[in-house]
Order: sequence, then structure tokens, then C-alpha cells
Amino acid sequence: MNSRNTDQLRIIEEFKAAFLKDLRSYLRYPAWLLGDFISTPLWFFFFAIGVALFAPTTQSSTGASEGPGLQYFYMGFVFIILFSTAVWGIGQSVRNEQMAGTLEQFFLSPVNRVILIIGRWARVFLTDSIIIGYTTLLVYLLGGGLVRLLNPVLFLFALGLYEVGLIGFGLLFAGLTIRLKSYNTISNLVFFSYMILTGALFPITFIPMPFRYVSMAIPFTYFIDLMRNAALATPTILPESWEYLTASLLSVSMLLVGFVAFNKIEEEARMRGSIATS
Amino acid sequence: MRTQAGLRATVGALAAIFWKGIKHYTRYPGNFLLYLALPFLFTFMIFGMGQFVGGGNAASNFAARTGTSNILVYEILGSAVWMTSWVVVEDVGVALRDEQMKGTLEQNFLAPINRFTLLVGLSLCDIVITTGIFFIVAGVTIAITFPSGFLGLFGAFLALLIGLVPLFGIGFLFAGFVVKFKEPYVFTQIINLVFATLTGTYYPVTFLPYWVQLLSGILPQTYVIQNMRLIVLENQTLVSLYGSFFILLVLALAYPILGYAIFKQIEKRASVTGEFSKY
Repeated sequence: MNSRNTDQLRIIEEFKAAFLKDLRSYLRYPAWLLGDFISTPLWFFFFAIGVALFAPTTQSSTGASEGPGLQYFYMGFVFIILFSTAVWGIGQSVRNEQMAGTLEQFFLSPVNRVILIIGRWARVFLTDSIIIGYTTLLVYLLGGGLVRLLNPVLFLFALGLYEVGLIGFGLLFAGLTIRLKSYNTISNLVFFSYMILTGALFPITFIPMPFRYVSMAIPFTYFIDLMRNAALATPTILPESWEYLTASLLSVSMLLVGFVAFNKIEEEARMRGSIATS
Repeated sequence: MRTQAGLRATVGALAAIFWKGIKHYTRYPGNFLLYLALPFLFTFMIFGMGQFVGGGNAASNFAARTGTSNILVYEILGSAVWMTSWVVVEDVGVALRDEQMKGTLEQNFLAPINRFTLLVGLSLCDIVITTGIFFIVAGVTIAITFPSGFLGLFGAFLALLIGLVPLFGIGFLFAGFVVKFKEPYVFTQIINLVFATLTGTYYPVTFLPYWVQLLSGILPQTYVIQNMRLIVLENQTLVSLYGSFFILLVLALAYPILGYAIFKQIEKRASVTGEFSKY
């Protein structure tokens, strides 16, 4: 019992240390902070104006429409920021250490690698949540109707499933960064494919048929569908209870797959001596 | 040891910097492929979201606001120009920072060539890259979906070439800021986004608030995108757009002079304070 408590305490300490290390590193470069706070709402407004060209002409010419389309779009924008935590938050953490030449020290420390990476995820999640909050406030002030959250409890549950899936995906991606060196290109392509294929920005029914099967095979499609259903009462792809069950199974599976894949890739890289090859 | 002087030496240096840039692109083809894929991805996203927001009348709503029902060509021309400015900002602006990170900036600056040659050399490679992006992205799209507008593509390309000159000037300016403020990727991210938003990449700039339109008016890409759309989609000629081309030529003169002057100023200060080797 005692050793179990000690183990739990050690994991919490490791997590805390990893989180604080990353937070310090982030706050040391205020330009990044400033960049995030400027560019995040700017991305939203840039796309919103482009999309507003298609909106019915009776709406405001500035694009500040309050129709369900733009609410849907704003929610999609939140999903995209959260997804970026997996690709650029967790995935890139290993690459950053590799480039800085500190990955060996990082991996030689007597700490669980996954805990270190989750510490990084927690920092990115925290700062992204602040950015989402700030952008939501800005959007609310400009056009209040764009922000709606009908069932916060279900939304938080679906968000939890999404985040667990994201950690798994991020771990898989972190593993890939050890093997693949052209990380930026791959992460950009994955990121933009996510934006199109998962129905983050428009319903998957707008995706032509053969490609829609791809959308339906991506677990993220269901997580964001459930979050949107909880926030805006949009219809779900599968019957609601089935979709919650499917999403729960997918979420846990993704975490397990990510964990196993990361450990396996790391072990192979240790044998080949390619961990710190940048 | 044989040394060269004058024009021949400058041409030799330009050729060397140019080939270095091209080799870099061929060694990391992923970057170029990304520049080709992004315009289509962004266009598809805007199109998909637009269809959802506008429903059955999306195309007619679009036509009422832009004057054309050819959504794909309208959007892809904007995207292609955005990508060219993205390339210039990333390459010309960030190149010196990359050299700084690799520890090779001092060697470059110690080479017996002037800084202007160095910056122009970086730009030459981008002319080839942006030409490739334009013809692959816009050329292929127009050839497949709007063949009657294909001839206009060459007029549109001329607009792009003229527009590249002021853009390089902005790149020089950016290179100076990067030497001074270090954080190039934050600058790149914000600048690329500001360019996309202000220059009417996916919408007419008249859609923006009036004060924002004033800012759009000083950016060369605004005129390039407008002219391209008019040439390809409305069969306008270079002659009929002379006013807009004249502004573009003025910007082509002003930005490189301004950009290089600011770069030199920052460089001069950096050489006194030892900023070059700090990162």
C-alpha cells in the first residue's frame, strides 16, 4: 500500500515538474504568447469573412452573421485549436528537444517519458484554453449569438473523450517524430486534413461520398460531433447513445495505441541509436 | 588564388545563392509540396463551409457579392498569391535567422559580397519557386475548370511578377526585423495571416471595414489578386488596368528601397552591438 502511494506521489511530482518546466519555457518567450493571442482570433475572422460571402444576403455585410452555420464554424474553430495541442503540443515536444539537443538528457532522467509528454500536453491545454476563452469573449462581444453551450455537462464529457483521444494521438505523433524528420510538413498535412475530413468546420454530409467513408473512419469525427451536439443540439451521425459508446471505446483505444506505439518506436530508436538524430 | 570583381563577381555570387536555395528545396521537397497543397486545402475548406452556411443559395450569394459565379478560380487565384507571399516571407525574411541559428551568418556576411546581392540572391530562387506554385496551382485549376480563361493566365503571371518586386522589399524589411527581434516564426505566422486577411485572399477587400481597406491599399498583393481576377475571370487586359499596375510599379520601387534602407540600419546597429551571433 505504501509503495503504491509512493508511486502515485512520484507520478504527480513528475507530472508537476514536466508541466512547470514547459510553462516556464513558454513564458520565457513572450513573443509566442503575443503571437498566439493575435493570430488565433485573426484566423477565425479571416475564415469567417471568407465564409460570409456565401451567407444569405440579408445578413450583415461584415460577416457577423448569427446563423447556425457560423455558430457551427466557431465551434469547429475551437476543435481545431484543441487538435493543435496533439500535433504541435505533444508531437512537437519530442522534436523540439531533439533539435535543441536535450532529448538524451530528457530520456536519461529516471522519469516516465509518457508522464513528461503529458506534462507538456497539460501546459498546452492550459494556454490553449486561455486563448479559446479570450477569443470566445472577443467573438461574444462582436456578435453574441455565435457562442452557445446548451448542455455543459455533456459537452465536458465529450471534451474529456476528445482529450483522451488527443493524448493517444499525440503520443503516436511524438513517436513518429523520432522516426520521421520532415515533421512540419507531415504535421501541416495531418492538421489540414483533419480540418476538412472530420467535419470540424462543416457537416461530413458535405463531403463527397467515397471520401465520407474516410471521415467516418476517423475517431475525431465522433468526438467533435458529440461536443457539437451537446453545445448546439445538432443531429449526431450515429444514434446518440451508440455514438457515446463508440466514442468512449475509440477514446480509450487511441490512448492505448498511442502509448504502445510510442514505447515501441522509442525502443527501436534506442537500438538503432537514432533517438537524437535531427 | 584568383579573385573576381565587378559585375562578373556579382553574377557569380547571385548564381551561387540561387543554386543554394534551389538545392535546399530539392533536398526538402516536402516544403514545396506543402505550398502546392495548402491553396487547395484552404479553398476547399472555405468552399465547404460556405456551402453549409449558404445552403442551396450559396453560389448565388457568392456571385452577388463578388460578381462571378466561378468560385473555384476566384478563390484559387487568391490562394496562389497568398502562397507566393508566404514563400517570400518564409525564405527571404527567415533565411538570415536560419543562418544565425546554424552559425553560418557570420561567414555569409564576411564573404566579399554586399548585402544587397545576398538578399537579391535569396529572392531569385523564390521567383522560380513562386512561378512553379502559380502555374501548378492556378494554371492547372484554370486549365481544367475554366479553359476559356487560360490565356489570361499569362497576363495574371505578369501581374504576379511585378508584384513580387515590392514583396521582396517587404522580405528585406522583415529580414532586418528578424535580425533584431529574433523570433522569426511568430512574426512569420502573424505576417502571413495579416497578409491573407488584408489582401482579399478569399473575398473582395471592399468587404473589409473602410480603415482596414486603407491598410490593404499599401500591400502589393491586394492589387495582384484584384488584377488577376479581373484578367482571368472578366477578360480585362493589362492596358485597361493601367491605374492599378501603376500603383504596383510605385510600390515595386518604394518597398525595396525602404526595406533595404531599414535592413541596413538594423544591420549597422547589430554589427556594433554584436547581435548577429546572438540567438
